[in-house]
Amino acid sequence: MVHPKSLAALSFFAASLLAQPPQFNRDIRPILSDRCLSCHGQDAANKGIRLRLDKEEFAKGDLGGGRRAIVPGNPESSLMLQRIQSPNRALRMPPAHTGTTVSSQELALLDGWIRAGAEWQKHWSFLPPQKSAVPPGRNAIDYFVQERLEKVGLSPSPAADRRTLLRRVSLDLTGLPPTPEEAQEFLADMSSDAWSRVVNRLLASPRYAERMAIRWLDASRYADTNGYQTDADRIMWRWRDWVLDAFRRNMPFDQFTREQIAGDLLPGATTAQRIATGFSRNHRGNSEGGIVPEEYLLEYAADRVETMSTVFLGLTVGCARCHNHKYDPITQKEYYQLIAYFNNIGEPGRYLKYGNSPPMVAAPTPAQEAKLRSLRDQAEAVKRGFDELEPVTAAAQAQWEKKLQPGLQWWPSEQMTAELFQKPLVFTADKPVDAGASAEFGFQDRFTLAFRIKTSSGNGTILHRMADDEASPTGYGLHLENGKIQAHFAVRRLDDAILLESQRTLEKDRWHHIAITYDGSRYASGIQLFVDGEPWQWTVQLDALNQDFRKSGSLILGAGGGWPDAFRGELSSFRAYSRVLSAADVAMLAVPESLDQIARIPLPRRTAAQRENLRQAYYELGASREMRAARTARFAKAAELEAFEQTIPTVMVMRERPEATPTFVLQRGAYDRPGEKVGRGVPAILSTTSAPDRLTLANWLVDRSNPLTARVMVNRVWQMAFGVGLVKTTEDFGAQGDWPSHPELLDWLAVDFMENGWDLHHLWKTILQSRTYQQSSSVTAELREKDPENRLLARGPRFRLPAEMVRDQALFASGLLVETIGGPSVKPYQPAGLWSENGGADYKRDNGDGLYRRSLYTFWRRTSPPPFMATFDSALRESCSVREGRTNTPLQALHLMNDVQFLEAARVLAQRSLREGGAGKEERMRRMFALVLGRDPREAEIRSLHAMLIYASDRFRSQPEAALSYLHQGDAPLVETESPADLAAWSTVASMILNLDAAVTKE
Amino acid sequence: MQTRRNFLTLAAAQALLGAENDLPHFAPKAKRVIYLFMYGGPSQIDLFDHKPRLAELHGSDLPASIRQGQRLTAMTATQTRFPVAQSIYKFARHGQSGATISELLPHTARIADKLCFVRSLHTEQINHDPGITFLQTGFQLAGRPSIGAWLSYGLGSENKDLPAYVVMASAGSKLGDQPLADRVWGSGFLPSSYQGVKFRSAADPVLHLSNPAGFDRDMRRHFLDGLGEMNRDQQSVTGDPEIAARISQYEMAYRMQMSVPELTDLSTEPASVLERYGPDVKKPGSFAFHCLLARRMAERGVRFVQLFHRGWDQHRTLPTALPVQCAATDQPSAALVQDLAERGMLEDTLVVWGGEFGRTVYCQGPLTATEYGRDHHPRCFTMWLAGGGIRPGITHGATDDFSYNITEDPVHVHDLHATILHCLGIDHTRLTFKFQGRHYRLTDVHGNVVKKIVS
Repeated sequence: MVHPKSLAALSFFAASLLAQPPQFNRDIRPILSDRCLSCHGQDAANKGIRLRLDKEEFAKGDLGGGRRAIVPGNPESSLMLQRIQSPNRALRMPPAHTGTTVSSQELALLDGWIRAGAEWQKHWSFLPPQKSAVPPGRNAIDYFVQERLEKVGLSPSPAADRRTLLRRVSLDLTGLPPTPEEAQEFLADMSSDAWSRVVNRLLASPRYAERMAIRWLDASRYADTNGYQTDADRIMWRWRDWVLDAFRRNMPFDQFTREQIAGDLLPGATTAQRIATGFSRNHRGNSEGGIVPEEYLLEYAADRVETMSTVFLGLTVGCARCHNHKYDPITQKEYYQLIAYFNNIGEPGRYLKYGNSPPMVAAPTPAQEAKLRSLRDQAEAVKRGFDELEPVTAAAQAQWEKKLQPGLQWWPSEQMTAELFQKPLVFTADKPVDAGASAEFGFQDRFTLAFRIKTSSGNGTILHRMADDEASPTGYGLHLENGKIQAHFAVRRLDDAILLESQRTLEKDRWHHIAITYDGSRYASGIQLFVDGEPWQWTVQLDALNQDFRKSGSLILGAGGGWPDAFRGELSSFRAYSRVLSAADVAMLAVPESLDQIARIPLPRRTAAQRENLRQAYYELGASREMRAARTARFAKAAELEAFEQTIPTVMVMRERPEATPTFVLQRGAYDRPGEKVGRGVPAILSTTSAPDRLTLANWLVDRSNPLTARVMVNRVWQMAFGVGLVKTTEDFGAQGDWPSHPELLDWLAVDFMENGWDLHHLWKTILQSRTYQQSSSVTAELREKDPENRLLARGPRFRLPAEMVRDQALFASGLLVETIGGPSVKPYQPAGLWSENGGADYKRDNGDGLYRRSLYTFWRRTSPPPFMATFDSALRESCSVREGRTNTPLQALHLMNDVQFLEAARVLAQRSLREGGAGKEERMRRMFALVLGRDPREAEIRSLHAMLIYASDRFRSQPEAALSYLHQGDAPLVETESPADLAAWSTVASMILNLDAAVTKE
Repeated sequence: MQTRRNFLTLAAAQALLGAENDLPHFAPKAKRVIYLFMYGGPSQIDLFDHKPRLAELHGSDLPASIRQGQRLTAMTATQTRFPVAQSIYKFARHGQSGATISELLPHTARIADKLCFVRSLHTEQINHDPGITFLQTGFQLAGRPSIGAWLSYGLGSENKDLPAYVVMASAGSKLGDQPLADRVWGSGFLPSSYQGVKFRSAADPVLHLSNPAGFDRDMRRHFLDGLGEMNRDQQSVTGDPEIAARISQYEMAYRMQMSVPELTDLSTEPASVLERYGPDVKKPGSFAFHCLLARRMAERGVRFVQLFHRGWDQHRTLPTALPVQCAATDQPSAALVQDLAERGMLEDTLVVWGGEFGRTVYCQGPLTATEYGRDHHPRCFTMWLAGGGIRPGITHGATDDFSYNITEDPVHVHDLHATILHCLGIDHTRLTFKFQGRHYRLTDVHGNVVKKIVS
């Protein structure tokens, strides 16, 4: 616990920058930006400040009386320098209240720059990248890196040994260490292209996609829950699998971008392209009862803009939400022009508590897709079979109509779950009628309720399955209020309900047929009302259903449900269906006449519903056995298809509404304070071409003229390999971001990336082929002092593995890893109680394969993320995150030493090494080292392991029960062994290896 | 749990930025904080902010002149009436300071002279998740560091065997229990080593603290010795100082395996102390248990201890649930203050008690002689503070006859944060961290120290 306040000497890295003549972008802009622009920026006028230093013409302009802040060539006359050095505290800049100062070193830079002529430059990252010439035959990376090193008198390190290199590249490209066999093969391969072949093999592996995908999930704030309050599950893993698939196929990065930003708008968009747009729906969704929907609609769009601009542009445009950006040339208006691309998908402000919220698409897996195709073909076939029989029916039906039994009625019976009150029930008293346990439905069921009714008062409870509790009824119910039909699907009427009322009124003392269908969507839009077969419109009083309204018990008629008044009149022919009846079905159902009555109506005078009723009745009752069978088969297949469709996972996606949502500049960024109306557009500093919709925006992101996207992506891949980006602030390429350590190199890589079709494999190969990458990561005392962060790259990267690799490596080395690609997220070991302590149900871990999948697939609950991942600095998936964090804490040590998943992995690694390593102790140790570290142990290491082994064996032999308890970690089978004490001792040795600094570090 | 690597990067960053966090900025009054977070929104009207005039107005509509068309949660926005509900609890003045406190908090009433009541807190958030996030991080959306993380980053720890920021959570009444999120004590954009470490009531107070069954402390010592040897050998080969940092983190883990069980073992506490905290103190995971642990942590130099007690969300049936909440928290909270005072620790320990917003004067749900509920109310609520740097025995701020609008000395959440930092010797405008190009602060670009309540 070192205190952070102490000051280190200015790093060599920074000092080496200062040795060169001051350059605006590198040396001056950071000072102006950080110390001056929060007041003297493009927002200055709003603060009543005259001087602006964000643009050359203002900074060098006349402030009145010939006074100028910056006088090129003349630091003494430059007001800016006078004020910075003013002995008068009240005049000195920056003002004391800002808490910042300009250091003497910075002052010297400003002075030198003005003296040399105060040459201004456009911010570097807004200028298009240029590919500087590289001498023929030289690797561009090595050329630029060495050029920089030479200037400061440093030289590169020698190449790392081949074992270290193989582990480094295997971890970088696949997130897993090499197997001992792969290491043998590589060591034995002395051909000149051995390295290339290793790289190609790793890039072709599906593990490469998993390695690339997890960083993309961090950036895209992917998670398995909605993120607010209850934080219940959502289903976005089909989007995650789309990402995996794209990396597996090495989809060009421009296409990868285009499909995720605007796949829905591509001509003839495929399901996969629509799924891709889930990128913009991974943000959190609020379902809390009391929220104001408009507020969250803005938050969702703001999150999309923030994520898009961080991930692709490396810009912090969110700063311009409340006011013009203080540091970068992005105005508040331009911010809302970006919002206008992302606020037009017709989503609800209040998201559903459980599952996905619209818009969404069905996203079948390849296997489901195949089954779906097959079911559709079968449905088509049985329908054809039915249609072929139909032509013969017209005449036969006419015959049949003549012999109809008087009074016989017909109605659809497929998936009918209840049928009550053939004889009308008459309500005269206030006593409710208990109809028994029928028509029980929940909030995700699809169902239909239908009945005939005659009301004498126009008021009262018709029917319900609710508690008699006005506030918290939990159930569904229908009620009449002055002739209007009210439908309540409610847990709490106040804030957890859909409350509807018909716009029209029922006529009193007359029979009506009423049908209500519910599609399981949990929104008012999913509930239809039909009266006498005609659709009626609802007035939506509340559309805020969150929890399940399913209630056991009885269907009650005539009174109760928390309504005060009882029903007066008659009710009959109640039917419930576990499906959504079509309008045509409902129309047939509403037909009041019996079959013989319809038959007596001359054909031209029959209504469509009467005709259809009679025809369907004939198919069911009068037609040939063959015809009846065909009809049954048709229904059965259609039902099977629909039931299967309900099992297909969905993904939340972008779906553009035809009319653009009016968008306004919001004063101080508040949803309820609209100002000027704006259209869509990209910030003027970046482009002057128009981009009228999300697709053109996506095209612009990956256009050759865009100065940022390629640089930003290249920088993140660099970060994956070297731990730190060429621009250290991977999230900020603006004026406040860090100056690149190697600007020409960044540009060269960016241009090369674009010239080679945005090919990530090509980019990786370029990096991996360099000597810079292949250097040894050992560090001398001199180098450590001069460049502790290795920004100059005089050595290879050495840093702790990301969270997922620490765990995946242990599973892989022990042989526990289950390498299934994609699918629903899994729940590996996690201490009990972590979820329930925060409130709600507890985590329920998987058994079997779910315990051993790669960490990429671990279920991510936003309000209680997987503890291992959080402790090892994983991004937390609440919002976009592109910088890799690394800390070193005792909690990490406790995880690696005592967490069941590591103890189990150690035990299974021991079992494996005993099995594969032969009888000798040293051979077994070598095997363990080869599996985890990809190298041989050194003598000293063997000695330490051996000492532990001897000590542990003695202890466990003297305490056999301790040995058994120690071995019983995790579900993986324990091998039969004659000596549990020995296995326990070996497990201890394996645990020690998994805890080594070298094991959790990429060297 | 600062580490060498981020020590180096931070130090390097600070060298370039001009050492913006040279802490403390001035002599601190408090060395540590114990923050009792009452999650759900305790009703100020039924606990502290007594409004006798409501007796005559009970059941009548809240005057439009008071409501002023303020935004309501979507839960009551559809309500057609806003009937005023008086508190059914008796209030009395207590101590020499004469603070008005409800009969639901008899123990708090007894220490009234040690407390500073702020009745004029106000926030911008009207729902729980953004509300607690705002109180904890100064911003309503996820992603910023919590106040404890800021302090851990700014001041570090005073104990090399325990984390600087410890969190404990207890469940409250089932009627009004809101779920918590880990982010509430997260480190946001600060390095994750600054996040709150949750102490749990499970067998392992800290995740994976215990060695596995069959593996004793002696064995662990040998294990760490061997591991240390091998790591040092690796360091001699690679020259990477990060390895030394890792070795020391393993040693700290080993020390925590001793210090944490010692900390959570209450068997050494005399019966008189246990009694003071009330009967729940013997139930691991209860608020009372956590209060006593908080004192023990404070004694051991933990910088920021934060207790979360859930269950204060009384939309309905307030008279059933609120007494349950008070019974669980009143005695332990008061005992904690008293205990600290008797040990001479209240002088340099700041204790804070409060939720994320208040509750409405108008009733939500049915209003009868014995039943009522209250919706969320952001425009005023009450908190109390005590100890290091705070003036005891005062009541700050006032609200109108309806406890609806503030009439005197409003204190914004940012002001509360600025004041807490002030007590710790920190100028809230100068505790910053650069992220996404901005020098972020806990108080964003706002906040004023509430001068009238600091000593």
